[in-house]
Amino acid sequence: MSAAPPVGRLRRGIWAYVRPRPRWRELGLLVVVGCALFVGSLSLGATLAVRAAILATGGPPASLDGLATPAGADLLAVYLGALLAAHLALVLAGRRTDQVLLPTVGLLGGLSLLLMERLPQDLAGALGGLARTQLVWLVLGIGALVAVGVAVRNDTWLRRYKYTWAAVGIGLLLLTFVLGREVNGQRLTLAIGPISGQPTELLKVILVIFLAGYLSENRSLLVEQSTRLGPLRLPPLPYLAPMVAMWAIALGIVVVQRDLGAALLLFAVFLLLLYVATARWSYVVMGLAAFVVGGGVLYAAFRHVRTRIDIWLDPFSQAHDAGYQVVQALHAFARGGILGTGLGGGLPTVGGGLPGGIPEVHTDFPFAALGEELGLIGVLAVLGLYLVLIERGLRIAASAVDEFRAILAAGLSLVVGVQACIIAAGNLKLVPLTGITLPFVSYGGSSILANGLIVGLLLALSDRGVEAPPPPAPRARRGLRR
Amino acid sequence: MSGRPAATRRPGRSVGSTLTGLGVALSLAFGAIAAGAGYWQVLRSSELASAADDAAVIAAARQVVRGPISDRAGTPLAWSDRDANGEPFRVYASRSLSGVIGYASQLWGSAGLERAYDGQISGVVPADPLRELLRKFEAVPSDPQALQTALSLPLQEAAVGQLGAGRGAIVMLDPRTGEVIVLASTPVFDASSVADPATSRGTFEALRSDDSQPLLPRATQGLYVPGSVFKLVTAIAALESGAISPVTSFAEQPAAERDGLLVSGFRVRDGHHAATGSRALTFPEAVEVSCNIYFALAGLETGGDALAATADELGFGAPLPFDLPTETSQLTNGGGDFGGGFADAVELANAAYGQAETLVTPLQMAIVTAAIANDGLIMAPHLVRSFSGRSGATRVEPETWRRVMSSRVAAEITAAMVRAVEGELGRHFTSGAQVPGVHVAGKSGTAEIGGTAAPHSWFVGFAPANDPEVVIAVVVEHGGSGGELAAPIAGRLLRLFLDGVGG
Amino acid sequence: MDPVVIALWILRLAFLALLYLFLAAVVRVLLRDLRAAAREPATVLGRLVVVASPGDPPVGTALPADAVTTIGRDVNNTIVLDDPFVTGEHAVLTFRGRAWFVEDLQSTNGTFLNGEPVDGVAAAAFGDELTIGGVRLRLERPGR
Repeated sequence: MSAAPPVGRLRRGIWAYVRPRPRWRELGLLVVVGCALFVGSLSLGATLAVRAAILATGGPPASLDGLATPAGADLLAVYLGALLAAHLALVLAGRRTDQVLLPTVGLLGGLSLLLMERLPQDLAGALGGLARTQLVWLVLGIGALVAVGVAVRNDTWLRRYKYTWAAVGIGLLLLTFVLGREVNGQRLTLAIGPISGQPTELLKVILVIFLAGYLSENRSLLVEQSTRLGPLRLPPLPYLAPMVAMWAIALGIVVVQRDLGAALLLFAVFLLLLYVATARWSYVVMGLAAFVVGGGVLYAAFRHVRTRIDIWLDPFSQAHDAGYQVVQALHAFARGGILGTGLGGGLPTVGGGLPGGIPEVHTDFPFAALGEELGLIGVLAVLGLYLVLIERGLRIAASAVDEFRAILAAGLSLVVGVQACIIAAGNLKLVPLTGITLPFVSYGGSSILANGLIVGLLLALSDRGVEAPPPPAPRARRGLRR
Repeated sequence: MSGRPAATRRPGRSVGSTLTGLGVALSLAFGAIAAGAGYWQVLRSSELASAADDAAVIAAARQVVRGPISDRAGTPLAWSDRDANGEPFRVYASRSLSGVIGYASQLWGSAGLERAYDGQISGVVPADPLRELLRKFEAVPSDPQALQTALSLPLQEAAVGQLGAGRGAIVMLDPRTGEVIVLASTPVFDASSVADPATSRGTFEALRSDDSQPLLPRATQGLYVPGSVFKLVTAIAALESGAISPVTSFAEQPAAERDGLLVSGFRVRDGHHAATGSRALTFPEAVEVSCNIYFALAGLETGGDALAATADELGFGAPLPFDLPTETSQLTNGGGDFGGGFADAVELANAAYGQAETLVTPLQMAIVTAAIANDGLIMAPHLVRSFSGRSGATRVEPETWRRVMSSRVAAEITAAMVRAVEGELGRHFTSGAQVPGVHVAGKSGTAEIGGTAAPHSWFVGFAPANDPEVVIAVVVEHGGSGGELAAPIAGRLLRLFLDGVGG
Repeated sequence: MDPVVIALWILRLAFLALLYLFLAAVVRVLLRDLRAAAREPATVLGRLVVVASPGDPPVGTALPADAVTTIGRDVNNTIVLDDPFVTGEHAVLTFRGRAWFVEDLQSTNGTFLNGEPVDGVAAAAFGDELTIGGVRLRLERPGR
């Protein structure tokens, strides 16, 4: 072995950041998650075995042997290992951060793995199948979560350079407009060499960071001064420009990228953050009106928007062409009933034994797949998990030290929560279907990484012993005194 | 974890309370999503999960051996056989069942009763939803149900035989329970060769391109001009509303028969009744000779609104409650504002004897006749008597549907209809419908459809008139006058039934 | 009642039960947090007690000092002092993890710490007195 590396300074440097502090609640919750995922894997394995037996011999297996093998045990073991490693990293870092976020994310990711296990493995994934690839992404996502949660101790770089952030975001968007690849009629993917991803996911985070900085800085101005338009109040004119820009970006995304979901999400988060910052409902109403007007124009002008709205309103009349996906999803929910068919009991299934079911179920309709397998009871539980994430995020926002962190935390939890809302509602035909992903459950690396970053940031923001922010820059020189 | 200072901060609410509001709003949104999930997973669950195009039903359909269908005597009407690969396919007892049992094939899906109860027959859905939970503890989750129908195979075959090469439909049902005994539509086709994978493709494609439309179930979905059988509807409306009574007669009627009835400047002409001379007819006599003028006047007396209301009560204007899908019978094309949707008095007058824009299905006319036969109370028509599977049997109980007239009116019309079959004048038209030893009540109809085509031949009736056991409705497309073809067919079938065939 | 099917049912229900066990455990943590937050409504870092003032706020008033406390005449400030000698945004008092700092925001009449004018940022500690316009505030520990 070669000579040991210089130890002195390096180790001291690292050890300065290591201050082990036990996180018992997190550990306890992770134990429950582990048990749940283990039992889930047993259930999945048993159901798949019974199904295979029925297909092969026409009847169920005669005895209980061979039923006890959990499905995807190796994947689950790696995943639980990763969660445990993440927990240890957080313990060693010793920051007094939220202890509920990691287990909740862990459970959602585990559900995703259990779901991917029973789907036909050739649906996606270059690394040896759907479930394996999803595992890689989940581990990377949890890694990102922990890295951000541990390392981010200073938010100056987030709050000071907001216009830089905005520029990066818009640059990314324009890059995708121009260079993006079309997949299924949507230009979402940006491929640079062997790596391809969906920059829209990162754009969400960047936008929230920018908005947090912008809104917290100009908050009192936005509240105090407003342009009156009859009985309604608009934000003051110089500040109207960024808002109109937001609206234009959203429309642009719909038109060029054909991604209605991202546009809806960005616009919704923007309006909600505006409300959080200014507490003025009239701004939100104006924004909604602009959205409706824009939506109407888009509906009239673009066929793909019209198709989406039409199959939302009545998918059954087009049950065999455009509305097929939605109709199959609704059938899947119906098959689930109250208790579900059990993990592994949905269609389609691995190995192609029983075809049929929802196209693109792993990306667009994981919620319907969960609905089919876990029933109404399971669906309520999953919705509950997302509500937990939102609650923790809003709690972190409420107890934030200053406005920037409050709005940032609120924005980040909104991004996750509203996204989950939109796609869950879309799966249930409550709103038009959009192509956005269910956080941590849908298949897709960009989505998992971006959401990992988001939760990591939330974790960092939740640190109760964090260094106080620098004093606000003196306002006298901005010349807006009366 | 900074506390909010006591000193006033800024106008408007603090960030803290907006966050609470946001949390509440998001919780409400998730609540709405949960409600949506509940809607699809509880309320619409059984409907979608047992639909014929549900993925699981289709998957199960490929594997599962469908339950058998039998007639009221237990004779098998449809069952499953296995082909060379061991895959099941359907076989049917007789070609005469093609309009009611339909077919179930891998290639062409299903039709008729096979389609209507696809979920139960293939066992994906149990007949009794309450058994769902218990069923789930069974080893094999699918429990194909055996259907017992109220159909009678011998009578069905006889009916189809009577229609012969012609196109038409025959409906026979029991007015006391609503059970349908015969639901025949011609031309028939060989459903077995549609279901057999070896011959399926060729057979079906030939059927689809056949001009005589053998795939159309005429008994439930064929719409025909009713002609004089519609007078029963007018009679119900007129007598029940009190516009006329059985002794009402119209003074202008004899002259109008000669010169035509002048209604709003148009002449309504009639054809026959030389035998009645020039006296004004009463209600039973008008039914006996099927006098158009009398009914036109009665219709005008009753008014369009009352006639339309009665028709709606009888089932016009909406699909009928039945196991199979039905076409909607119409009183008029609608859109007019004369009353009841008629355009003017002339249309009302013509509709009153069944020759305006009125279109009916044979099943609808059977229902009208059943109303009269059952003292004014319509029992919901149904084909299936019971489902039975491994988890037990469920009986389908007869269900009352509507009361459309008083028993007094029903009795008055019955008496008139008996005269139509047995009376001195009536038997010239409908003697074919007589059954020795039994009083048959009936009404024939000759539905003019204009142009050079021969009119449709109709007959509706029931027997025995004093205590009805069976109702029959017969229509023969382009069969000429009612008495020519339809009435004798009905007579023969009624005789077969009353003799105990298919009891 | 087939044992295989019963086994499947047990596993399915167990999984759903564990999901809800997780949710229940989380809800317990949430409730505990809520109750803890309710019990101590504000963990105050320090207090500013009014030692001298032209009238309002009255002498002896204890104003909570946050991690970031802005002081001035403008209504947007954490502590609003309605004194003609106080600038709109006069000074800010911050707690940076371990120590307090006072910064003068280029006010017209200046900020004084224990009598000494504050030029930019100055370190403060419990017991120090801050003079802003006509008001003198003493920084004290958070007490009962």
